[in-house]
Amino acid sequence: MAKAIAVPANSAPSLRRYLPALLVALALFLILYNVFAQPLPEFPEAWNLHLREPLDAFKKWVVGNRANSPAFVYFFNPIANATDWAITLAESFLLWLPWPVLVVGTFLLGNKVSGLRLALLTSLCLLFMGFVGLWDASMQTLALVIAAVTISLLVGIPLGIWMSRSGRGEAVLRPILDGMQTMPAFVYLIPVVLFFGIGVVPAVIAAVIYAVPPVVRLTNLGLRRVSPEVIEAAEAFGSTPRQTLVKVQVPQALPSIMTGVNQTIMMALSIVVIASLVGAGGLGDVVLKSLRRLDVGTALEGGLAIVAMAILLDRLSYAISQINYTSIERHQGFRLFPPGWGDHAWVRTVERWLAAIYHTVGRLEAGLAARLGRALPWLQASLAKHAYWVLSVIVLVLLTVLALAAGWVDFPKTWNLSIAEPVGMVVKWMQRNLYEIGDTGLGTGPMSDFISIYILAPLRVLFEQVIPWEALILLVAALGLWLSGWGLALACILSMLFIGLLGMWEPAVDTFTQVLVAVCATVLIGVPLGVWAARKPAVERILRPILDFLQTIPTFVYLVPVIMLFNLGRVRVSSPRCCMRCHRRCV
Amino acid sequence: MTDYKIACTGLWKVFGATPERIAASITPEMTRTEVLEQMGHVLAVRDVSFDVAEGEIFCVMGLSGSGKSTLIRCLSRLIEPTRGKIVVNGEDVTQMNETRLRELRRTTMSMVFQRFGLFSHRRVIDNIAYGLEVQGVPKEKRLGKAREVLELVELHGWENHYPHELSGGMQQRVGLARALAVNPEVLLCDERFSALDPLIRRDMQNELIRLQRNLQKTIVFSTHDFLEAIKLGDRIAIMKDGEIVQVGTPERIVAHPVNDYVREFTKDVPRVKVLTARSVMKPVHTKSELIGRAIAIDTTLEALIPLTVDSDEGVPIIDSDNNLVGIVDRKSVMLALADEASGMLPAGG
Repeated sequence: MAKAIAVPANSAPSLRRYLPALLVALALFLILYNVFAQPLPEFPEAWNLHLREPLDAFKKWVVGNRANSPAFVYFFNPIANATDWAITLAESFLLWLPWPVLVVGTFLLGNKVSGLRLALLTSLCLLFMGFVGLWDASMQTLALVIAAVTISLLVGIPLGIWMSRSGRGEAVLRPILDGMQTMPAFVYLIPVVLFFGIGVVPAVIAAVIYAVPPVVRLTNLGLRRVSPEVIEAAEAFGSTPRQTLVKVQVPQALPSIMTGVNQTIMMALSIVVIASLVGAGGLGDVVLKSLRRLDVGTALEGGLAIVAMAILLDRLSYAISQINYTSIERHQGFRLFPPGWGDHAWVRTVERWLAAIYHTVGRLEAGLAARLGRALPWLQASLAKHAYWVLSVIVLVLLTVLALAAGWVDFPKTWNLSIAEPVGMVVKWMQRNLYEIGDTGLGTGPMSDFISIYILAPLRVLFEQVIPWEALILLVAALGLWLSGWGLALACILSMLFIGLLGMWEPAVDTFTQVLVAVCATVLIGVPLGVWAARKPAVERILRPILDFLQTIPTFVYLVPVIMLFNLGRVRVSSPRCCMRCHRRCV
Repeated sequence: MTDYKIACTGLWKVFGATPERIAASITPEMTRTEVLEQMGHVLAVRDVSFDVAEGEIFCVMGLSGSGKSTLIRCLSRLIEPTRGKIVVNGEDVTQMNETRLRELRRTTMSMVFQRFGLFSHRRVIDNIAYGLEVQGVPKEKRLGKAREVLELVELHGWENHYPHELSGGMQQRVGLARALAVNPEVLLCDERFSALDPLIRRDMQNELIRLQRNLQKTIVFSTHDFLEAIKLGDRIAIMKDGEIVQVGTPERIVAHPVNDYVREFTKDVPRVKVLTARSVMKPVHTKSELIGRAIAIDTTLEALIPLTVDSDEGVPIIDSDNNLVGIVDRKSVMLALADEASGMLPAGG
């Protein structure tokens, strides 16, 4: 209290300097009072805003009026119907398409846009989905991604163009995009479900909302970065604004736009997987259902299939986005191994064979193209320019006919290399042997217990019993004031009050303790690793692909091995990300 | 009225929030710095007037920031002029609507850019054909025309390459070919050669002279290099702070610079190559018997020197109609050369 007297009331700078200390002092007083004198009440139940009732009422209204309210008849329902149509189209096509056609098509595409290495990687990813018996689920997920990405691009690219040409467009869109990108994916699902019900449609719509910002941003950025002299040149030759856009600006911005497309694809995939929570089906559903049954093996299969899908989509779209305007044809497509491996004799032998095969296929391709061109004059022009693509399409069509005739539509059930059973055994073994290694008192079980009992539980006690809610708000506000200023402090106070008013104080504190522990653990592991990698190039070389992998794979997948090892309980939140649904089930 | 291909009168360009009002309120005494400091506007081009004759190479010479690039861009309204009139082929460009202006850019005026401004996503041939493409010329026809121009600038065999695969000099030729492909009457060149190495630059200058001999286009050319201006320009306009300081033939500017600013540029000029009998001779007005050994009035000093060495009475000079107009003797040659050394023009020469 002595400090309060020292504060000159009319001096703003020194007020800001002393206020954090004052707030901390006040918080300490509250804490001491709470512990030693008389426990302060919890966040008052009476303040609960009871948002649930109006929201429930709104939902009832939505359900009751879906068929006749103008908002639905003229806005939401047409969107839902169009989306549904797109999904159904994509899904029925992918399920109709015989599986070998997709595998071969992926191989041909990967080979052309990058080379043999990508062709093999992507077609093996597809085959993996089949081998673990998840072909149909994978196709469902792929169909959702295709629908979501198509809609995202149809919406996003024009928005990006508008944003790049109009200052007002940018002023309006930028904060919206910022908001869309900072909000966690989960938040979208709830209002979307409210308006579009459950199933595939809200999944795709949520994915579109989440995935549209990168393509809008990167289209805008790419168009704005086109050299002014190039645009001037286009105008100097009398291009109309439309010609300038279509013939010069968009092609010049294409590398940037394609990077946006790549990011959009990956973000759409992540939402489509999470959207299994609202009944979207597909691979996410496989993981979710098996997690509920604690069938770790199947969950891991689903998770790995999601990883395979992510690798497939990411690497393919990345290779396509690397547009390189060059007149010199590459002849390095057959290179299967990293350049440094050329010293090994067997690598050289394999590459010699591959080069010979490529050479032969290339000659065959040229000969076939020439002969076809003579036979079908209307194809000649496109054959001369894009022989590879035309021949690929012809091969795929022939393969489709053949596969349909031979009945190779569904992935053969007998080709099952399911890893569910061995994984189940491994899990059992690990649970038996790693959970408690001998009598040493070490193992994942004791570790799990240790974290629960000695770290999480005390933290809970600290936040729920020692520090009253008023003190916590004061402490956070003081921190915000000290770090940034009034704005941040006020935002912190309001957000925390809002959590309380929603009646979510206790779960929020619970989540907060887990985040706190996870962040500390991450820092303890991550910073030394980062320092090590910075000092030793060899470490960085090993670490980089692992980190890339960890960042691309969907959230779900982390959960599976963690559950395997640590069983159930609060400790597994130390895995990088966690969905609330599982969390609440597990507590 | 239409003696001139381009007639530019009272052209102003002011950058800022209210350019028209500022342009009207600038008094002749105000300097560019004062306009910037007191009015917050950048005065890029200030009351510029000049004419360009058909088939002429007109050089706009000035240091960077002198407003020459802005002036060139104003001619086809890539930069909208603030005030003034630009008459091309008897028609005021500033009064044209969008469609008419596009028409002018498509068929009458083409532009070559300093950093080439090539389309990196298009092959050389498609770059050259761009101007015809936006006019809607069918593919076969425009590619045929583009190939012709490609031959003209000696880039045969490079049509299917992309611009970044070419050297700087070759890219510059693609830029020129792109401008020539639409067969324009007027070529606007913004510092065409300043991005090139000195050697390639000389090649390109010679190539422009060679092309111009066959094509006879009207060319407006900007440069910061006075020697280049002298070499290429039929006439030169020297710009400083957005104003034209002097307009004239290279010889006229070298022989009679209007002020010290211009004289400073002329110092490095090899006078024997620029000055001709016209500015060295002593005028005479009587008929003479010496017509048989006479020399043409546009003979350079370089060629005159050996002749005057052998002749004590001087070399008679005739104009294009074979009239005797003057005499060049050793004294007049020496005075002209001495002028180079001292930098001073003797009064009454």
